[in-house]
Amino acid sequence: MNAALLVLGLCPAIAMTDTVIHSVWISAGLLLVSVLSTLARRILRAVPTGDRGPADGPGLIAALCVSSVLTAGFEAGLLAVSPEASTSIGIYAPLIAVNVLAVGEPLPSGATPARSVVGAVGRGLGLGAALILIALVRETLGAGTITLFPVGAFKGTIVISALVDEPVRALGLAGGALLCLGYLAGVLQAIGGARQRAGAGGEKP
Amino acid sequence: MSGAQTSPALHPQSAPHLRVGMSTRRMTWLAVASLVPALGFGLALFGIPGLVVVGVSIGSALLAELATTLPFRRFTLADGSALLTGLIVGLLLPAGAPVYVPAAASAFGILVIKQSFGGLGRNWMNPAMGGVLFATVSWPGPASWSIPPLGGAAGPAAPPLEALRSAVSAAGPHGATPLAALDKAGYAFSSLDASAIDWINAHLLAPVGLAFNHGALDVLVGHVPGAIGASAPLLVLGAAYLLRRRVIRWQLPVIYLASFAVLSLAAGGLASGGGWLAGGPGFHLLSGNIVLAAFYAASDPVTSPLTRTGRWVLGISLGALTFLMRYFGSWGDGAAAAIVLGNCLTPLLDQWTSHRPGAAPKGAA
Amino acid sequence: MMYPTKLPKGGVDPPSVITVPPGSTILNAPLPPRALIPLLQHAGSPARCLVKPGDPVTEGMLIGRAEGARSAHVHSSIPGVVTHVGPCTLPSGETCDAVTIELGGSFQTSGKPAVRRPWEGMSRRDLLERIRSAGVVGLGGESQPTHLKLAPEGRAVSLLAANGLDCEPSISVDAALLRQRPSEIVEGLRICQVVLSPGRTVLAIGDQSEDLAAAFEGLIANAGMKADVRVLPSRYPGGHEQLVASAIAGRPPSPDPSVVVINVATLHAVFEAVVLEKPLIERVISVSGFPLARPQNLKVRLGVRIGDLLEECGGSATDTRKVLVGGPMRGLSVDSLDLPVTKSTCGILALGAAEARTAKELPCIRCGACIEACPWDLVPTRLFKLVRMGDTDAAFREGLGRCTECGCCSYACPSRIPLSSILGRGKHANGREGHG
Repeated sequence: MNAALLVLGLCPAIAMTDTVIHSVWISAGLLLVSVLSTLARRILRAVPTGDRGPADGPGLIAALCVSSVLTAGFEAGLLAVSPEASTSIGIYAPLIAVNVLAVGEPLPSGATPARSVVGAVGRGLGLGAALILIALVRETLGAGTITLFPVGAFKGTIVISALVDEPVRALGLAGGALLCLGYLAGVLQAIGGARQRAGAGGEKP
Repeated sequence: MSGAQTSPALHPQSAPHLRVGMSTRRMTWLAVASLVPALGFGLALFGIPGLVVVGVSIGSALLAELATTLPFRRFTLADGSALLTGLIVGLLLPAGAPVYVPAAASAFGILVIKQSFGGLGRNWMNPAMGGVLFATVSWPGPASWSIPPLGGAAGPAAPPLEALRSAVSAAGPHGATPLAALDKAGYAFSSLDASAIDWINAHLLAPVGLAFNHGALDVLVGHVPGAIGASAPLLVLGAAYLLRRRVIRWQLPVIYLASFAVLSLAAGGLASGGGWLAGGPGFHLLSGNIVLAAFYAASDPVTSPLTRTGRWVLGISLGALTFLMRYFGSWGDGAAAAIVLGNCLTPLLDQWTSHRPGAAPKGAA
Repeated sequence: MMYPTKLPKGGVDPPSVITVPPGSTILNAPLPPRALIPLLQHAGSPARCLVKPGDPVTEGMLIGRAEGARSAHVHSSIPGVVTHVGPCTLPSGETCDAVTIELGGSFQTSGKPAVRRPWEGMSRRDLLERIRSAGVVGLGGESQPTHLKLAPEGRAVSLLAANGLDCEPSISVDAALLRQRPSEIVEGLRICQVVLSPGRTVLAIGDQSEDLAAAFEGLIANAGMKADVRVLPSRYPGGHEQLVASAIAGRPPSPDPSVVVINVATLHAVFEAVVLEKPLIERVISVSGFPLARPQNLKVRLGVRIGDLLEECGGSATDTRKVLVGGPMRGLSVDSLDLPVTKSTCGILALGAAEARTAKELPCIRCGACIEACPWDLVPTRLFKLVRMGDTDAAFREGLGRCTECGCCSYACPSRIPLSSILGRGKHANGREGHG
C-alpha cells in the first residue's frame, strides 16, 4: 500500500466530514466509483491494471485513468441530481479517484470478478460508514447541527439548541477532524486486537 | 556471645539502597503549593466566579483522571499531576468564563493530551496549555470573558492586552508605550493605582524627571481583568521557591522570558509604530499568561529537552514564537500556542543535541 | 606533585552520616568462636577443599587449593577443628562449599611479634609466588586474584595506580588504612612496582585524606621510589577503578588493559604476604549504619559471622530492617545474619526502617537527573526504556556496555525507577557481558 496514496486519502476525510450530508455524498461517490472501477478492471483484464502490486507504475496509472473517468461521470451525475451538493463538495469530488485507489484491492487477488465487486462494496461501505460517523461527531459537537437530505417539510438540518450557539468549534476545524479520525482508528484497532486475541484463544484446545 | 540474640526481620532488596530525597510526587505537590500565593490573590480579586472557575477546572481534571484510571484498577491522583494541571488551567482562564469552558479545557487536557498517550510522563504536549488552547479555539468569546477585579475600575472588563489590541486595530499603530496608548484610548485602571502612581511620580520620580504612566502599578501587581492567575510577582515568588528546592531548572523559563523581552524591546515597536527599541517589554511581560507559561509550563520536565543546549534553543524559540504571535499575529496572548508549538520541537531538539554515546572505547576487551 | 582533580562528570552525594570517620582507630574484632570459610571468596573458580570434618587446623593453614586458571588459595583464619564441610549461600546468591571451623588450640602467629623477611632482590616470579601462596585477592570489592592481576600477559603496563579511595560512601577502610598503616602500603606499592615495572606509578588518595599527601610523598622519597601522589575527589563513585585511572590520565573513563589499579587494602595484604609471609586470614571492614550505636572500622578474621559484628558495634535487632554486605549503592542485601565475612566484604551497613522503606515506582518524567548523575556519560533514561522494550541491541549501540551498575542513576531518580538494576539486567541478558 503506497504511503503517498494513503495520505492523499486523508484530504477528503478531513474536509468532507464537516457536515453529515457532505460525507454521505462523498461516501456514495466512493462506493460507486470503487465498485465500477473494480468491475472495469476485471473486465479489461488484458490491460495492466496495477494488480501486480504497489510498485507497478504503469499499472497504477492505468488504474488511475479508470477511476478518474468514473469519478468524472459521478461528478456529472451529482451535478444533475443535486447542484447544491455539487457546489459544496466542489474540489473534493475529484479526490474520490485517488481515494478509491487508496482503499482498493491491494494485491493481485485471484478472486473472481463477483468476489472483487463484493469486496469493493464492503470496503466502500466501511469507509463510508467511518466518514459518516466522524461527520456525525464533528457536526453535532462542532457546529450544533446535523445536516441531512431535505425530505418534504423537513428542511434538512436538525439543530441542537444546546450546542448551536457555542459549539465546540475546535472539532469543526481540521485539527478536530484529525482528532476524531485518530480516536476512531484507535477504537477500530482495539476492537480488531480484541477480536484477534479472542480468535487465537478460541483456537487453542 | 552469639545465638541468643533475636534476628531482625530483614527485607532483602536490590541496590542501590538509598535514594535522593526529592521524589516526583514531592515535586508535583511543591509546584501546587508554590501556586497558592498567586491563586489566593486571584481569588481575592475575582471572588466567587473565580472560585467557581478554578474549582470546576480542578474537579474536571480529577474526574477525568479517575475515569481513565479506576477502570484499570489504578489510582494515580496521589501523584498530584492531575491537580496541578487543573489548577494551572483554572489560573489561565478568566473568572467570567462559563462553567463549560474550564471543564472542557481540563477534561481535554487530561483525557486527550495526557491519558490517551500513556499518562504521566508520556504526554508530548503540556496538558494545561493544550487544554486551554482547545477551549480558546472552541469558544473564543466565552473563554475570554473577564470580570472587573475587586477594587478595579467598573465597566467593560477587557484585559489590558485585549484593549490594546482593539485600540491598535481601531486607531492604527500608536507609536507610544502600551500604557500611554491605553490611556489615550480611555482604558480605566483602578483608582488605587491612580493615586499610588501620582504619589510616586510626584515624590520619587519628578526630581529625576521620569514619570510612570497610570496603570503601571495595576499591571505590575496583576490587578487587572483577565486570567485569574495574572499576578506576575506572586508567580515569580512561587517559582523562585521551586528553583531553590531544585524542582525546576532555571534555563528554560529565564531564557524564554529573556528572549521575549529582548525581541519585544528591539522589534516590538515595529508593530506599534514606534520604530526600533520601543516595544514596551515591561508591559508585555506582565500581561497575558507568559509568566505562568514560562515558569510552570515551559519548565515541565516531561516536555522539556534533555540537554542543556536543547533547553537554551527551546527557550529562545519560545520567546520568539510568543513575540511573533503577540505582536504580529491575531492570537491574543500567544503564550499557550507558543508552548504547544515548542513542545512539538522538543523531540527534534533532543535528537539534534544529544551527544553520541556508544563510541567503542579504545582497547575494549 | 598533587593536583586536586575534579570528577569529570556525574556522581552523587549520599548522606555522609553513615560513614565511619577514617580517623577512628581500626579496632581488632574479638575472635570468633566459629569461622565459616567459603571456598569461593574471589572472582573465578572455587578452591578445592583439602580438609574433612574432624581434621585439626592451625591458624593460616591452607584448607583450599586454587583450582583452575582463575582461582586463589583459601586459608583457615583460626586454629581449631573442622566440624563441617558443606554448601553455603553467599550474599550474591551463588552457592559454594564452605568449611566450618571451631576455635581451639594455640595461635601460631597472632600475639607474636611479626618477623620481616627480606624480599629485595627476589625475582618477579618468586614475588608472585609468595603473593599467590598467601591467597591474596583484591580487597576493594572486585576480588580478582592479585597474582593474576600483577601478571598481565606480555602487555606493558603504562600506569600502576594505588587506589586509596573507598568503593562506597559508607566505607572508609582505605582512608583508615592510609592514615594508620602508611608505610606498609608504600612498601606494598613498591613490591608491585618491582613486579610490574610500570611506566608510571601513582598513589591516588581521596580528598578526605588530603592532609596525608605530604607524608606519603616523604615515605615514597625515603623508599627511593618514583611515584606521584594525587588527590582525587572522593565523591561516589570516585573509587571505581576506571574513574581513578581516567582522573589520573585525564581522559574519559573506559576499561584500559595497560592500566593496573590496586586497592591500598590489597597493597597492605601484599606487604603482609611478601614481607611477613602471612596468608590472607583477616581484613579491615567498616561496620556502620544508622541503627548502630558504635559504628567502627574493625579488623576481623575471615569467616566471622556478620551478626556478631553488628552486635559488637551496638546494633539493635529491633531497629535494623536491612543489612547490606558492601555499601548503600552496590551492596547486596542479605536475609540472614549467619553469613560470614569473606575476602570480598568491604563493609557491613545496617539500615533502619526509614531508609529501608520501598517507594512506589512512578513513570519517568524525563527530568534528566540520571543523565547528570552518570559518570560514564550515558543516558540512562533512554537505555532503560530500550531494555524494557526488549531492544538490548539498540541499547548496546548507545553505550550500555559501558555501564558499571554504580547505582548513581537509580539514586538520583525522583520517580524511584530501579534504573541500574534494569540496565544490569539488560547487560547480562543472553549472557552478554559487554565492555567493562
